[in-house]
Amino acid sequence: MTVSTYRVIGMACGHCAGFVTEEIERIPGVTAVAVDVEHDTVTVNSDRLLDLVEVRAAVEEAGYELH
Amino acid sequence: MGALDDTDPKEFITDFFTSFMSDLVRGDEDPAVIVDRYHTPDILQVADGHLMDRAKLIAHTRPARKHQTGARWEVHEAIADGDRIAARYTLHFQTSKREGSVDVHFFGQFADDGRMRRAHMLTRSVPVEVSDRGRVST
Repeated sequence: MTVSTYRVIGMACGHCAGFVTEEIERIPGVTAVAVDVEHDTVTVNSDRLLDLVEVRAAVEEAGYELH
Repeated sequence: MGALDDTDPKEFITDFFTSFMSDLVRGDEDPAVIVDRYHTPDILQVADGHLMDRAKLIAHTRPARKHQTGARWEVHEAIADGDRIAARYTLHFQTSKREGSVDVHFFGQFADDGRMRRAHMLTRSVPVEVSDRGRVST
């Protein structure tokens, strides 16, 4: 299992966390997503190494920005 | 945006959010300029325990600007006391991918010129009923 933490800008509340989680969970191989709104981070568990490009695309699809 | 003491609190809070969102999603003005038009520099918002200062508020405008296609504030009641407002409202929103409603219990403080200085919000997502679809307007 791979665990990666990303910095996501623009999240402000639980609803933001839900939108980001929903999009990242669509990426094949993702098994769990944990959002920390306070610290602008998203931790993703997956059963394969994720390509940064697909994570960025998911975050941007939700309307937020990956740093 | 008018001053709080000139306006009915229910109308004030409706106009504040509607006008702020309208400025954000229409046109390409710098979000920081828009945020500063509606908030004092020391703005502090706490939504469901999550703290949001000016920088986070500006960052939070990006998703709204990118995806929001409609938003309507249905203010159920609002009470003003000096520069403070307590309000209970439902935000009905529509984006390119989803629509929904959020119940909000709001306590806010405003400057003399109508800009927001402080806000505490407790929110709850409400399920969208089929009969409610299409009622969101910009």
